[in-house]
Amino acid sequence: MPGEAYCVSISDEPETLYKRLSLLVKGHDKAVLDSYEYFAVLAAKELGISVEKVHKPPKKIERLTLLKSVHIYKKHRVQYEMRTHYMCLELKYLTSSTAAVYLEYVQRNLPEGVAMEVKKTKIEKIPEHIQEPVWDTLPQVEETEVKS
Amino acid sequence: NFRHAPPRTEKMAVDQDWSSVYPTAAAFKPASVPLPIRMGYPVKRGVPPPKEGNLELIKIPNFLHLTPPAIKKHCAALKDFCTEWPSALDSDEKCEQHFPIEIETVDYVSAGTSIRNPKARVVTLRVKLSNLNLDDHAKKKLIKLVGDRYCKDTDMLTITTDRCPLRRQNYDYSIHLLTVLYHESWKTEMWESEKTEEDMEEYIWENSCSQKNALDTLLRIKASENVSNVTEEELLASEVVKNYRNSVIALKNEGETENNVSQYKESVKKLLNIQALP
Repeated sequence: MPGEAYCVSISDEPETLYKRLSLLVKGHDKAVLDSYEYFAVLAAKELGISVEKVHKPPKKIERLTLLKSVHIYKKHRVQYEMRTHYMCLELKYLTSSTAAVYLEYVQRNLPEGVAMEVKKTKIEKIPEHIQEPVWDTLPQVEETEVKS
Repeated sequence: NFRHAPPRTEKMAVDQDWSSVYPTAAAFKPASVPLPIRMGYPVKRGVPPPKEGNLELIKIPNFLHLTPPAIKKHCAALKDFCTEWPSALDSDEKCEQHFPIEIETVDYVSAGTSIRNPKARVVTLRVKLSNLNLDDHAKKKLIKLVGDRYCKDTDMLTITTDRCPLRRQNYDYSIHLLTVLYHESWKTEMWESEKTEEDMEEYIWENSCSQKNALDTLLRIKASENVSNVTEEELLASEVVKNYRNSVIALKNEGETENNVSQYKESVKKLLNIQALP
């Protein structure tokens, strides 16, 4: 290890809690996604994150039919297709620091040609201004005043 | 005619530390990977081509830097930066009870000319109305104000905002919307007193035609039998009328089921005192 000192700061602000973290990984090659799934699940287990489920939505194939030749020959076409494979990883009950660490690790090791969508569900308390209706505490307003 | 140095694979021990050979993501180097891999379309009546000079092996992303021991090492180093989930919130219901509001945001990671994705600014706020401090009138008014965004089966209000360019702005706007809806639903406007029967969400028996008709019929029956004047309150408080009221409310609110219709039949028979019919 090089002799660099990393400063780790611990802040006192309360952590935001994520009830669910849903990773959807998309790629053109199923073998790459399988290896990535093994890596992501092992990383989650090592960091102590509970994996709710891992499922593979069915692949989507986008096909296009183009003319084979530059000029005329309408009856001769060529067909291309783009296959997108999906893999969805659902994690439960993470704090914001754990989520940040896991996501950074997993996203830095995302292979080339693979995309990811992360859906975070954060849970919060009801803010104070929604606890009580404000009309009870307002001073008495004259009725003739126009309410905008 | 020059001699090549022997490949590194011949000098590798079986129990070497693989994470020092491939510490980071790197292209496949056939001289550094001591595995007899073949890849590609096989020659006619032959085998796929070997790893030396194989472009297919170089093109595909490899996970040689992420073997299980390497992953364990990385995670052991990263474990210091993780915090634990509070053990008191170990089920969904407890999370719901202490933290009723759910904010959903989506992040997008992909390779391209730009790392930005315009869909990343969408924020969805979900809350169960039973967790908010609302009374009966406020809840009905809120449901009417909100329209399609409320789901009756799960009692969930879902507000999706994407009108602002930044995610933080959209989040602030959704909280602002929730605040405004909450306070407006507690207010009672003057024109709300003109609410007619068509606007009601559920059937209320008091002051409806059904009640008027039932009382009318009973009063006329009593008058024809020349019983002393029974007041309306006594009729309303009697068992038969209560039964009839419950069965009518069940029919109107829950729809027609076998149970409901038979209950209605029984209550009408008791009300009009006809026992002989099956």
